[in-house]
Amino acid sequence: MDEPRQLLIIDDDPDFVDGLRSILESAGYSVDVAYNPKAGFDALRAKRYDLLLLDILMGRGAEGVMVARKMRKDPELSKMPVLIITSLREQIAFLFPGQPVHPHLLPVDELMEKPVEPKILLERVGNLIEAAEKKKAESK
Amino acid sequence: MLERSGYEVATSRDGAQGLRRVEELAPDLVLVDLKMPGISGFDVIERVRALDPSIVTVVITGYATLDSAVEAMQKGAYDFIPKPFTPDELRRIARRGIEKRKLVLEAEALRREKEMLKGQFASILSHELKAPLDAVQQNLMWITEELAGALTEVQRTRLERMKSRISEMLGLIRTWRRAIFTDLSTIKGGFGPIRISTVIHKAIENVQVYATRKDVDVVTAPSDPQGEVVGDEGTLVEALANIIGNAVKYSHAGSQVLVEAEEEAGSLLVRVSDSGVGISEEELPLIFGDSKPSRDGTGGEKGSGLGLALTRRIVEIHGGTVFAGSKVGKGTTITITLPLLKTSTAGLQGSDGSQGTTSST
Repeated sequence: MDEPRQLLIIDDDPDFVDGLRSILESAGYSVDVAYNPKAGFDALRAKRYDLLLLDILMGRGAEGVMVARKMRKDPELSKMPVLIITSLREQIAFLFPGQPVHPHLLPVDELMEKPVEPKILLERVGNLIEAAEKKKAESK
Repeated sequence: MLERSGYEVATSRDGAQGLRRVEELAPDLVLVDLKMPGISGFDVIERVRALDPSIVTVVITGYATLDSAVEAMQKGAYDFIPKPFTPDELRRIARRGIEKRKLVLEAEALRREKEMLKGQFASILSHELKAPLDAVQQNLMWITEELAGALTEVQRTRLERMKSRISEMLGLIRTWRRAIFTDLSTIKGGFGPIRISTVIHKAIENVQVYATRKDVDVVTAPSDPQGEVVGDEGTLVEALANIIGNAVKYSHAGSQVLVEAEEEAGSLLVRVSDSGVGISEEELPLIFGDSKPSRDGTGGEKGSGLGLALTRRIVEIHGGTVFAGSKVGKGTTITITLPLLKTSTAGLQGSDGSQGTTSST
């Protein structure tokens, strides 16, 4: 790996972010953090990231869903792999009743429930980035 | 008479027409003559009640016998007025009836608001409780790795204990939350065929770490059952994992928990037997209920007391049943019965009659 992969975390809990960030940095990723949806979306537009780690329950409700909706409307951002890390898995089921627990908020996403097992986290992150890069190489 | 007092009044000549008008107008109060052509006044009262129980009905009885008035009240009428009556009498009764309706509607609105608040409260509370634990746990998980080389065995064990205590608490919050306000019937939309062996394996996987820590061996029959059921894999796994987890909780170190499946007359039976502390006869009928205290496990584990209640709800939504048999000091056997979709083609699971001490409740 030449350049370190760029990751962005959008999550409003600084302590949780610290734990998550240290796992990702130990594996050689470069990690940026936004502590609210607005700062997160600004960061996404300002810089190109290889993967987004997105919290769902932020602020006054499921503001993470708003971020996902905005990303879906953007042709570039909609292709970005996203790992949704949420505190309450069923909360997502409530937002989308009658759908499977993992509703695919975005074309490329995966869902994990907090807290995340470090080994599994790194595995998922690695797989998502690899799949996205493969896809990109094929479309060239 | 009533219109002059400011009420809007609609009239009908018989019961059938009257009921149609009730549906159209959704009135506050219905005055019903007991003696009418067609549908009887009693039937009208019952049907108005079925339409909207908050509508107040007042009966006009031509032959003011107590019997018919009593019968009308039993059918749900609020009051009665014997013929002939003065305008004042009628107005008084109408006013009282409408006030009663207002009270009923207010009480209903209050009840609904309370329900909603309860749901929101549970949602907010569980998030507020869980978020700090998530953060602590996430950091603990990694710090154990970061310090791996520097920690003594005792320190490492203590960190592991901290992690497992927090994960017990996280589990409690999850179960509590689901039991309180997940509408489980929504899972029916996603029902599909599932192999019971998959459910069993995943459920065991869920409790494996806990069982290993307690030195309890969770074993299955040597060959996988082939039967399929229709359902939702996630919740079925949870239902079974609750039972196996419970068996482990009340098992002694070094003992076994046996999970076996068997087909019987169009049904699939999944049996979980332990040789743990057992459940007394008085407690046995209560274990699947919502309101009972949780007993501590053999290792002092706390619980929400809701796990098995949730299991029962999940199994019932799948059209199945769950029952328990137990002897104090000997152990407990809990059996889930689910409707079988596909009979196994391979050999049936042997049912070993000597297992456990089942006595169905």
